Amino acid sequence: MVPGYQGRPGSVDCGTTILAPATPSVVSMIQVREVTKRYGAKTVVDRLSFTAKPGQVTGFLGPNGAGKSTTMRMIVGLDAPNSGDVLVNGKPYASSKAPLREIGVLLEAKAAHPGRTAVSHLLALARTHGIPRSRVDEVLDLAGLTAVAHKRVGAFSLGMGQRLGIAAALLGDPAVVMLDEPVNGLDPEGVLWVRKLLTGLAAEGRTVMLSSHLMSEVSLIADHLVIVGRGRLLADTTVADLVTAEGVRVVTPVPDALRTTIAGPGVTVTSTGAEELVVAGASARVIGLAAAARGIPLFELTPQNASLEAAFMDLTRDAVEYEASR
Amino acid sequence: MKITPGGVVAAEWTKFSSLRSTWITTGISVFLLIAFGMIASASFSGDNMTSIDLALSGSALAALSVGVLGALLGAGEYTTGMIRATLATVPRRMPVLWSKSLVAGSAALVTMTAGAFAAFVAGSAVLNDDIGGLGLGDDGVLRALLGAGLYLGLVAVLGVALGMLVRSSAGAITILAGLLLIVPGLAALLPDSISEAITPYLPSNAGSAVMTLTHADGILAPWAGLAVFTGYVVVTLAAAAYRLKTTDA
Repeated sequence: MVPGYQGRPGSVDCGTTILAPATPSVVSMIQVREVTKRYGAKTVVDRLSFTAKPGQVTGFLGPNGAGKSTTMRMIVGLDAPNSGDVLVNGKPYASSKAPLREIGVLLEAKAAHPGRTAVSHLLALARTHGIPRSRVDEVLDLAGLTAVAHKRVGAFSLGMGQRLGIAAALLGDPAVVMLDEPVNGLDPEGVLWVRKLLTGLAAEGRTVMLSSHLMSEVSLIADHLVIVGRGRLLADTTVADLVTAEGVRVVTPVPDALRTTIAGPGVTVTSTGAEELVVAGASARVIGLAAAARGIPLFELTPQNASLEAAFMDLTRDAVEYEASR
Repeated sequence: MKITPGGVVAAEWTKFSSLRSTWITTGISVFLLIAFGMIASASFSGDNMTSIDLALSGSALAALSVGVLGALLGAGEYTTGMIRATLATVPRRMPVLWSKSLVAGSAALVTMTAGAFAAFVAGSAVLNDDIGGLGLGDDGVLRALLGAGLYLGLVAVLGVALGMLVRSSAGAITILAGLLLIVPGLAALLPDSISEAITPYLPSNAGSAVMTLTHADGILAPWAGLAVFTGYVVVTLAAAAYRLKTTDA
């Protein structure tokens, strides 16, 4: 439970005021189905499909220019896909009678008029839905902005802008929360706050999706990973699966003998040197025991615990849009 | 908790009233209307203008000023990035344009009507002795003052529509100034036959017909003129609506 945050999906708990009766909570999720988006000749998102489900944090990962922001813009109808469709809680977003209850979004830092105060900005958004002033104060407090509520947004730091964006995303007590690069510009305390907030929201049964180009950040909070590169889906996986996808490095003077010994269904052996093999699909323990039974000497038997970061780099290597020359 | 038309209007009012530029621009518009009205009333000594024409002689500059107010409200959404928050909140989009127009138009209508009456009172007080004074009961005076408020209210809506259409403050203001101030001057350079035919229908000429008391040739009838100007506003709004609905934000 997030301190100060009493909202639950399916309820309309906005402070103390009871509003319209709660509509029966349909499926809270984001469904992206075969979506393609082109800007001129450039295909930014290419037949992308994935689903972000309730009760878990979905990390949306990819290098810069992979189409993450465009996809998120399409989810809330800011951009129209050239083909395919997006459903938020089972229906097109624009058809919702109370969009702020369906999904709260942080798109870019400072999607706000710099001349307006934080409280006016949130109030303007809240009034479209008849959300009471008390809820505005509540999200300001939740985001730690109470002290600067009457300051102009133009004077905000990047981190404060992000907090304001997150406060706006939570205004309608939404079933789905979607944040684009939420920790950009936040100080360590802010990063920790976002992590706790998002895991708390997911624990309440909401669908949480956040994008990042940093695997290290996402792996700490995401259960589910959607990895994209050049607008295409590269992996729809979990943190655990992505790590275990690596193999075991074996060094032996008789690689061919070991190869035949451990051959079997689901086991792939790749030769990476004269005496070196990488085995996928068998654990170090199985390989070691098999080698001992046949009297095959092993010099090295190392599970390749490649970091998530390395796994991510591996996956996206061919899909990096902007790369420093080497 | 759901989107209602009244809610979107309330939201647009919040946006409008929470910007310092709104109050400054509105203040400048009222000031221009009154100050120019007083200066002209005090100094003019000819026989081709009535006291109401003189009192409202600041209306051309006030029109530019309220038009800028509308344009800033419309284009500001895009130049600041606010539009993404706005349209993610109201994904049907159209209510945003109607509400913004309604808020800017009503605010300008109210303040500029008050400004027109104030300009008339102040102008009459300092009126040059050579000019015959008029009272509110005189023919056409009330129509001219209320018409000034209506025209300036519509100019604010035109500004909103231009701002939402071109999505840039500088662009919208340039087009607005061009339409209201420069086009009439350019039309005068055309051959007389063409110039005389189109001049009455130019936006600022048509719109300000409602404010003039004496009807010379080359000026449309008061309400016909305002109707023509309303037509320009409606067309611009339709273009803005089309762009808002069909293009990515």
